[in-house]
Amino acid sequence: MRLSSDQTTLRSEFADDPDMLGIVALFIHELPQRLAAMHTALAASDREQLGMLAHQLKGAAGGYGFPKLGEAAALVDQAIKDRNDDNVVRSRVGMLAAVAARIRP
Amino acid sequence: MTALPSGLPKVLAIDDSVLIHRLLQVRLQYEQIELFGATSAEVGIKMAQELRPDVVLLDIDLDVKKQGMDGFGVLQVFKSDVDLQDISVIFISATASMEDRVRALDLGASDFVAKPFEVVELQARVRSALRVQHLVKMLAQKAQVDGLTGLWNRTYFDRRLSQEVGEAVRHHRSLSLVMCDIDGFKKLNDERGHPFGDKVLERLSKILQSGRGSDIACRYGGEEFGIILPNTVGSEAVEVADRYRRAIEQEVWPTMPGTVITASFGVADVFALTGTPTPEDFISAADTALYRAKQNGRNRVEATAMTPLLG
Repeated sequence: MRLSSDQTTLRSEFADDPDMLGIVALFIHELPQRLAAMHTALAASDREQLGMLAHQLKGAAGGYGFPKLGEAAALVDQAIKDRNDDNVVRSRVGMLAAVAARIRP
Repeated sequence: MTALPSGLPKVLAIDDSVLIHRLLQVRLQYEQIELFGATSAEVGIKMAQELRPDVVLLDIDLDVKKQGMDGFGVLQVFKSDVDLQDISVIFISATASMEDRVRALDLGASDFVAKPFEVVELQARVRSALRVQHLVKMLAQKAQVDGLTGLWNRTYFDRRLSQEVGEAVRHHRSLSLVMCDIDGFKKLNDERGHPFGDKVLERLSKILQSGRGSDIACRYGGEEFGIILPNTVGSEAVEVADRYRRAIEQEVWPTMPGTVITASFGVADVFALTGTPTPEDFISAADTALYRAKQNGRNRVEATAMTPLLG
């Protein structure tokens, strides 16, 4: 049975770049904290903070070799900019968390 | 002569995300630059004022609420500050629309990079900005240097003299001015030809440049030179001028054996002037002394409001 694409693991596009090893590992290590902060902001309906966190991830994830993560963060960022309702924002944060969960060192 | 600044060019990144700073540090580590980082607009502006970077990488999306201003605001601060306005600013942004990019360029940004960066493109754009920056600095310096002699030119002399007079008055610091004119230069040109005249101007300029590091030798015009001597009282300036006078007199001219070239010097001390000194008064005081040196037989140093000491 083939795994659906949603369950494949994601590795950094720069996993073989010795210059990038250190900061990619740090990025992966810190990712759970970043997501936790986003969930906290979501629970507190702090859209400004959530938007800032999503925006930073959107700008940086691609640079660390995780473009899919960047795209998922962009959707959160966009939902906040578009003033979508909480359900949309929550579901997009959920999608972002799902992408993040597939990331492996 | 101050040369172009030595050492590696400085690049300052202003971005609120530590993720971006880490990335830039790795991605620009092999570039011949010194990289600095600031995570807020306020710190970024302060660092720019202290470091005078050649290039600034500026995040357009700085949070206005938290930072007080976005990237456009920071750019406007740069462009309205004479010390910062020539810095090349490369905008970086994850969102910017075409309108934002146009606005950034119209405000004076020199380039634009989208996040996430394409690494080679980022490196190339930084290098390109540094090349432009180097040329801007070189041109700015060239516009103030005399082509034949390599001394500072009249434009620089005028600007620097009024600056030094202002500082001397404000901080009550001594300041002297030496005006120097080559004796019989017109006759020399007529008899020995202009190429030799040019050689004389070049050699004398070397001599006038060979003094103390703090002295500012400028070509005032034709065969006249002005040397600004900060933190120097009139009597010291007379000694400095007389050293130049002797060095010129002793110079050997191999293509014209037996030729002796001399110059006359007029010295003025800014605090020997009456009233509040202006640059114009200062020049005319030194010129008056120079005129007296010519009247009294040339190849001598005369000073205003002081008894002639040497000659």
